[in-house]
Amino acid sequence: MAQVPVQTIHRDPQLFYWILLPITVVMVLTGVLRHYASVLLQTAPKRLDQKALREQRSLLHGMSVRGNFHALSRSSFVARREALTTAYQSGAYLKDPERRGQPPANPMSDPDGMSGMMGMMKNQMAMIIPNTLIMSWINAFFSGYVIMKLPFPLTIKFKSMLQAGVATKDMDPRWMSSISWYFLCIFGLQSVFNFLLGDNNAASQMAQQMGQMGPQAGQMFGPGQDPDKQFLAEAENLAVIEHYSVLDGVEQRLLEGINI
Amino acid sequence: MPSEQELQISPLVPESIQHNSKTLYNLQSLTASLFGISAGILGLESYSGFLFYIVFSLLTVFLLYVVRVAPASSSVALSKGGASKPLDTSSYFRTPFEFWAGGLMNGLAGFILTWTLFYGLVRA
Repeated sequence: MAQVPVQTIHRDPQLFYWILLPITVVMVLTGVLRHYASVLLQTAPKRLDQKALREQRSLLHGMSVRGNFHALSRSSFVARREALTTAYQSGAYLKDPERRGQPPANPMSDPDGMSGMMGMMKNQMAMIIPNTLIMSWINAFFSGYVIMKLPFPLTIKFKSMLQAGVATKDMDPRWMSSISWYFLCIFGLQSVFNFLLGDNNAASQMAQQMGQMGPQAGQMFGPGQDPDKQFLAEAENLAVIEHYSVLDGVEQRLLEGINI
Repeated sequence: MPSEQELQISPLVPESIQHNSKTLYNLQSLTASLFGISAGILGLESYSGFLFYIVFSLLTVFLLYVVRVAPASSSVALSKGGASKPLDTSSYFRTPFEFWAGGLMNGLAGFILTWTLFYGLVRA
């Protein structure tokens, strides 16, 4: 089989200065802008009143005791368990003791849930709009020619996406138009944003963040859950724990660990 | 996997593990971009370019291991009085696979970006 000749196209060296660099600079700057815009647009966390806060924190206390019981000595663990269990069963920590038997509030009607959802939607909007604008700007100004050659080969199917304005049949898929440089930049600049803006910035990891936000919220304190049932379940969990402490036998371990 | 009781005595703190992973991630991203620049300047094509990236990324992780992870791991093992495996990273990272090979996917995007950029710039 004859070796396919390498396709070379002579290009104006000024291509790079007028196309590659401006697109890169614009994308970096919009990323930085997006990060600062999201920082400024963040809503302050809602202040809960004392009873609601006590309800949430007491549940957390129960879960911590259940998870870390081994750090406590037997007597302190038993004391905590007794206090928490009686409080849970008597409903001493509930926000509204009168609504004990009734179904929980709907997240749509409860004003606490709405602000959380609005925050997430605002972040998503902040991601989508600049990307769409940049893509249309690139298609308007920078279409109709190829810019550069990818160092590694691709299949023919990529041609339709990455060589958008140039309708040829035989050109190597390695030749890219400017829209493909845009796609490369989206993925590649995430690490650059990490360095410029520190960790946990809003301009990077857009897909990961959007995926992670969903299942986390509303696990425990979402207004869709009934706190009374959670308390009773927690009381049962506390009751079944077989307690042992890491302090048992600690003298033996210490003596073993010492090298004489 | 250490037993549950051993985990309670010397716990795996999630913040520390996260910090270790983040450090490794930052290092991988930075070196990936630099390797992309060098691969582009050298004019490497498809397979040799990726091979270059993999070899040098592994070299970077190995150097990190030698300079940072090994002295601390061996001192921990000595104090426990037992022999640990020579390539043990359990006191810092969750699994050995994640330490050695996990960073490759992180840096790949940055590598391809700078590789393409400099390949086009230099090769003209």
